[in-house]
Amino acid sequence: MGRTIGKRLLQLIPVLLGLTLLVYALMDLAPGDPAAKRLQAQGVAVSEETLDAAREEMGLNRPFLVRYGDWLLGVLHGDLGTSYRDGLPVAAKLWKGLKNTLVLTLASLALSVAVSVPLGVYTAVRQNRAGDYVIRFLSFVGASMPNFLISVLLMYFFCIRVKIFPVIAKSSVQGLFLPALALAVPLMSRFVRQIRAEVLEELSKPYVAGARARGVKERYVLYKNVLHNTLSAVITIVGLSVGGLLGGSVVVETIFSWRGIGKLAMDSITARDYPVIQGFVLWMAVIFVAINLATDLAYRALDPRVDGLEGGR
Amino acid sequence: MMKGRPAARAAVKRRVWVFLILAILLVALAVAAPALAPNDPNRTNSDFMKIAPCAQFPLGTDKLGRCVLSRVLMGARTSIFSSLCVVAASFAFGTVLGVLCGWYGGALDELVMRAVDILLAFPQMVLAIAVAGVLGGSLLNAMIAMGITGWTLYARLARSAVLTLKNEPFIAAEKLSGCGTPRLLCRHVLPNIFGPLLVNAATQIGTMMIGIAGLSFLGIGVTPPQAEWGSMINEARAYIQLAPWTVLAPGGAMLITVMIFNYLGDSVRDLMDVSGQSHE
Amino acid sequence: MKKTLALILALVMVLALCACGTASAPAATAAGGGTDQTVTLAESFAYPSLDAHKDYYGWYTSIYGMTETLFKMDDNSVAQPWLAESAESDGSTWTVTLRDGICFSNGKAVTADMVVKNLQRAAKENDRFAYLAGYEMKATGDKTLTITTPEVYPTLKNDLASPELAIMDLDDTTDFDKAPICTGPFVISSFEPEGTVKVVRNEKYWGGDVKLAGATFLYMQEDDPKQMAMQNGEIDGYTSVTAAALETYRKAPDTYKVSVVPATRLQFYALNENRLDAAVRQAINLTVDKNAIAKYLNGTVTAATGPFGTATAYGKVTVPAVDTAKAKSLLEADGYTLNANGIYEKGGKALSLNICYYAARSLDTLATLIQEQLKAIGIDSTLTVEEDPDGTYITTGDFDIALYCMIADKAGDPYYFVNAVLRQSSRWAIAGFHSDACEALINQLQYETDTAKRAELANQIVQLSIDDNAFGYVGLFNKTTVLRAGVTGCSETCPFDFYEIDANTSKTA
Repeated sequence: MGRTIGKRLLQLIPVLLGLTLLVYALMDLAPGDPAAKRLQAQGVAVSEETLDAAREEMGLNRPFLVRYGDWLLGVLHGDLGTSYRDGLPVAAKLWKGLKNTLVLTLASLALSVAVSVPLGVYTAVRQNRAGDYVIRFLSFVGASMPNFLISVLLMYFFCIRVKIFPVIAKSSVQGLFLPALALAVPLMSRFVRQIRAEVLEELSKPYVAGARARGVKERYVLYKNVLHNTLSAVITIVGLSVGGLLGGSVVVETIFSWRGIGKLAMDSITARDYPVIQGFVLWMAVIFVAINLATDLAYRALDPRVDGLEGGR
Repeated sequence: MMKGRPAARAAVKRRVWVFLILAILLVALAVAAPALAPNDPNRTNSDFMKIAPCAQFPLGTDKLGRCVLSRVLMGARTSIFSSLCVVAASFAFGTVLGVLCGWYGGALDELVMRAVDILLAFPQMVLAIAVAGVLGGSLLNAMIAMGITGWTLYARLARSAVLTLKNEPFIAAEKLSGCGTPRLLCRHVLPNIFGPLLVNAATQIGTMMIGIAGLSFLGIGVTPPQAEWGSMINEARAYIQLAPWTVLAPGGAMLITVMIFNYLGDSVRDLMDVSGQSHE
Repeated sequence: MKKTLALILALVMVLALCACGTASAPAATAAGGGTDQTVTLAESFAYPSLDAHKDYYGWYTSIYGMTETLFKMDDNSVAQPWLAESAESDGSTWTVTLRDGICFSNGKAVTADMVVKNLQRAAKENDRFAYLAGYEMKATGDKTLTITTPEVYPTLKNDLASPELAIMDLDDTTDFDKAPICTGPFVISSFEPEGTVKVVRNEKYWGGDVKLAGATFLYMQEDDPKQMAMQNGEIDGYTSVTAAALETYRKAPDTYKVSVVPATRLQFYALNENRLDAAVRQAINLTVDKNAIAKYLNGTVTAATGPFGTATAYGKVTVPAVDTAKAKSLLEADGYTLNANGIYEKGGKALSLNICYYAARSLDTLATLIQEQLKAIGIDSTLTVEEDPDGTYITTGDFDIALYCMIADKAGDPYYFVNAVLRQSSRWAIAGFHSDACEALINQLQYETDTAKRAELANQIVQLSIDDNAFGYVGLFNKTTVLRAGVTGCSETCPFDFYEIDANTSKTA
């Protein structure tokens, strides 16, 4: 296990270098001037001299490799630089955004797991009965709706039509519910089906037939053995989803004004705020690799029969 | 799921046919859209803004007075064809690359897998936004943005399938009997790995559609006045209280389409399972 | 002797404090004392700091009612006395006289010296005001200061109304970002960077009684939450109301007070003279129907004739009425004929234009509408959206029609826009508009000190750009404000975006 961790971490370095260089180059190629974006934020046009002075000040006139090298040097010293937009330290901004997104991610995952595990088991046990069909249909609907549509509809129904929630959250829990739900719906839909498939597979295994033959109670079989073996599947899909959630919740964060890291990334891309974009790329890459690693390790810990195929599964 | 039982197989096969036909119907609808649309989808009309569904405009009009039904039909064209395109391209590219990596291994394998790691070490949507933001807003760029990470799925699957298959006795037997590598790959390897790849392709259509719609929703996909479901929903969401049909029509259309493709993918997977094909 | 001197000094100090505490300025209307009411407003921006001199932060400290400047723009875009009483120019020297009795929220009097220091600090902290550093500014008395400019600079008074040139107590302020000491009717009570801002009444306000006890400003970027919060009663008002929301509010006039005034943000397009000949350009300008466009944009935009509001002295230009028949005959006279698709073509090549725009401020809707209007008379077009206009089509000149949106009337004077867009040296020259006559007039405008003459010059300059069919001024964004019934005085009639609450803002429950 230690060797795997070490190997993975070592592989991380070229990945990070490649990624950050790629993104930096992409941003450089893109039309758009951070100095102009900052100075013309309210729509007041400024003169070329003012823009030139600002560019000089922001160090934008230096050649590409010099700027990249400078940034890299800073990173090695633990300094991610300051934002072009407001001069605040990048690390602080990213951290604030990440915290908010993490809260949202965890909330939606918790909600999804809490709902989908019982539902998944239920539909497997009651296979091909009415309940199964209804839930499976709903899960298809949920998986097929784009999250921006879900968000728009949720906001409309809960804030205007039914008025359960205030638009401006009084406490973080209240403000969290709707965006977490919006993110959870597609997750729940996928989870239910996958858990159902896993449970069904487990139920068809010989040991279950054996237990039944011995007269062991159905519920006991379910809880003790099947669920335990399904746990590894749950962990995998949760692990696979965390990555997507952490970055992919841009739309939901925008619609619900949730100041998470996805929104920060989107705003930074629009404003050509290179330092923040670079910092974001770095952090996300590290986080993703860490999550993948953790998922793999957990999976192997739960099911020692599997030997990890590099790049497989 | 009882493997190999003929009755079960027949039932699953029926399901595959049903959804395949539905999917083909959708594609046909998309192709025939210009003929089916009752009004010009781009024709703005200041006298008919935000009208509720009526005889002249079966699904009402949007904020610029354009016929929603016509736009939904044309949007079907845009959404369906663009996703099919991206999936087909990703499928081809990813499979070929994956097979080559699995078969030859070595430096190529290392390089491609690192590239896959790099591309996947990043939230897909954000990468798509970055690419679309850099290349500019257009349908083609949105497709490229989604395709950039789309192929990795097939590459990984194909590679691991080939790795397992490589050591099968029948492959060794074929090699011994003098079968050339290209023939080996095409006639023996590809057909055996096709199954799981196809399943993923079918499900990916829905994901691509949602992805492209998402980019259009954020304003960096389709350019106006082109009708596309995601951008239609974005333009209409401010009016959800005044003219809900402008959101519900494209939303509903998108939902139904994605569902059909998802069901199709699901049925194909069931078919593979039932036919005894391993897809792990 | 010493004792008497001390007594006199004490008396003088007491008198000075009294003068500061009471309203000596005639402008303050104290109709009834302060109430316990507070308002909650939503804002589209929230900055990380309250340092008014930096970036655009001053716009928001002004909105929050915390900072004030020497002059204030009124509803007709004229600079009115605020902290200063007057500004007179004599050649290149301006003499500014401060009002009596003005003081900071800590009771300290505002002196001319402090004003000079503020202007110098703004020049240092803000790239857009760095030019002030080149001016010789000094206090010539307790209440007067002079500013000497290298050349004649007729619009200094208007510039002094910029919210970034707020006057703060530089000596006693310890934390500019979180607790600046300023002159306005409200002081900061709690500040969340890029978040919620709460202000309370400035008990020592020089301008008299402040009606509100305080205000809360919420940061809400998206339109839908603002509308829903308004409908749910969670906020008392906001600006930049969208067309959709306007419609909803207008349905319940007893609950919501909607205010729409033409403001200063201009939607316009440039026609590329290097690619389009005079006939085509004229045809385009005769086809684009600004009133129809304004109708589509549903209350958020007022159709424009020129870059400035028609109520201003320098907004008096004329534009020929929409005449599609004439447009078509012009094209035909130029050698174009309608082809089978209903599009004009000349020499086998169809007339197809590239309309470039960026997705902000309804420019996407504008582009779509212009495309439709042109198509109706036989001009085909493709739309190209760029994320960043300044880095793409405006620099390269790769467009036939370029859409843009900017604040045309920054400070109640036409020179800013004329200089930024119509001058030979501006980046818009890439569109090919060349006119020596125009250039000469602009040079004259730069140094003209008489306001009436300035307006006349501006009108002539803009008219030249219209007559040459170089530009089309489509619409001026309206400042749209919605307030709950009972809330008044939120600068809803002022076209400028950087004012909101002041001493007269009130809320009747």
